[in-house]
Amino acid sequence: MTWFVTGASSGLGLEMVRLLVARGEAVCASGRRGVDDLPANFPDIPYRRCDLSDRVAVASLADWVTRQGPLHAAVLNAGAGYFRPLAQETPDAMARVLAINLDANIALAHRLHPVLSGGRLGLIGSVAHNGAAGMPVYAASKAALGGFGRALAEEWRGRVTVRVLHPGPVATGMAERAGRTPDFADRLFLPPRQTAAALLDALDAPRGADRQTVSFLRVGLHRLRKGAA
Amino acid sequence: MKVLITGGVSGLGAALARACTARGDTVHSLDIVPGPGIHAHDMAGTDAAAWAALGEWLAAQGPFDLVLLSAGISATGRFETTPLADHHKVTAANLSGPTRLVHLLDSGDHLRPGARLVFIASLSCFTGYPGAASYAASKDGLAGLARSLRAPMRKRGVRVQLVCPGPMDTPHATRYAPEGSSAKGRMPPDKAARAILRSRGFVILPGAGAKLAALAGRITPQTMTRLMGKVLFSKLK
Repeated sequence: MTWFVTGASSGLGLEMVRLLVARGEAVCASGRRGVDDLPANFPDIPYRRCDLSDRVAVASLADWVTRQGPLHAAVLNAGAGYFRPLAQETPDAMARVLAINLDANIALAHRLHPVLSGGRLGLIGSVAHNGAAGMPVYAASKAALGGFGRALAEEWRGRVTVRVLHPGPVATGMAERAGRTPDFADRLFLPPRQTAAALLDALDAPRGADRQTVSFLRVGLHRLRKGAA
Repeated sequence: MKVLITGGVSGLGAALARACTARGDTVHSLDIVPGPGIHAHDMAGTDAAAWAALGEWLAAQGPFDLVLLSAGISATGRFETTPLADHHKVTAANLSGPTRLVHLLDSGDHLRPGARLVFIASLSCFTGYPGAASYAASKDGLAGLARSLRAPMRKRGVRVQLVCPGPMDTPHATRYAPEGSSAKGRMPPDKAARAILRSRGFVILPGAGAKLAALAGRITPQTMTRLMGKVLFSKLK
C-alpha cells in the first residue's frame, strides 16, 4: 500500500517522504520543483512536478497517483502564502494561495476518492486557521481547509479516515519565503523533522480526533515518547 | 449612511436591503442578477475587466459606512458524487470573490472610518456541515478572513463582524435543504436582518436556536458534527 505526499520538494513534505522511505513504506510524491531541482537528500521514489494552482495539472496528477495503485494514505501537505497585509496582496497572488491551499485539495480528495477506499486522508492545515493578522489570505485558506476536512471526515466515516492536522509554526523557511522578517521568535519555531514525524503518527494512529493541532505540546510529547522508546 | 450589500436581490441580502432602506440609508447592491439600481457582478468570476468595472463602481458610490457580504451559493449532496465544477464554483463565489472584494475595498480606501464590515458566514462554522463540504469550507474560510482582519481594521476605525446564521426561510435554504424537509424552525430573513443590524459584537448569532447550536458546537465539536451528519447528510443520500 502506497503513501502519497504533496509539497514533498521542501519543508514538512520533504521530511515526511524521507521518514516514510526510511521506514520502508512505498511512497509517491509531488512538488513544485522539477526533478532536477530536488534537494540532494530527496529519496529515490516516483515523483511528479505539479503546479497545484493549475486545475488541468491537478487532474493529471490525480490520474498519475491513481495508476500507483490503492493508497494507504494521501497527505495533502502542499501550501503557499504571503506574510503581508490584505491591501498589499494582488488578485493573482490571492487566487493562487486559495487555489493551492484549498481548491487543489478539494480536487485531489474528489479525484482520489476511489483509491483512498479503506485508507486515510491527511489535510495539513496550519495553526493560522484561527486567524492571523499578518497573513489574512493564508489564514482564510487554512480555515477553509479545516471546514472542508471537518465535513468530509463525517461524510466518509467508516470508509476513509479523514484528519485535519494543524501544525506550526515550523522552521521550514516558509515564513521567510512568505516575506516575514526573521526575528527572535524564529528560534522558537518547531523543528521540521520532528513535526513531520508527529504529523505522520497523528494521521496513522488508529484512534484520534478529526481535527488536531500538532504544535509545541504535541511535537514535544512525541519527541519524549520516541526518546524513551 | 451609505450601505453596500452583496447578494442584495434575494434572501437575507434583500431583507438587509429592506431594513436599511426603511431606516433611511442609501443602499447600493451587488448581485449576479441584474436589476434596477443593482450593479451586476458574478462573485465567482475571474474576468479582470468585470473586477475593474466593479472597482470603478465602488469608487463612484463609496466610501461606505456599512458593507454586508451576503451573497452566497451552496452545493449539497455527497461530496464525491457532486461534480467537482460545482465545488469550485462554491469556493469561488463564497470565498475567493468576497476576499477579492474586501481587497478592493481595503486597497481602494472605500471604507469610511467608523464603518462596519460584516461577513455573512454560516452556523456551519460552529457545527460543521457534512453534505456541503465545499460550502462549509468557504464559510470557515470567510470566518478565518474576518478573524484575521479584525485587529488591523480596528486600527483604522473599521469594525469587522462575523455573522453565523442558522437555516433561514430564504430561497437559498429551500434550494439546498434535504428534500421534504420542513421550513418550520427556519428564521424569517427580516428578523435575522434586524438582529444583524443592531448587533455590536464580533460574532453575531441571530436567534436563540443558532446561539444554542453554536454553544454546543463549541463545547463538543465532534458530537455536533456527527449530529449534523445524522439530521442532514443521511437524508441527502
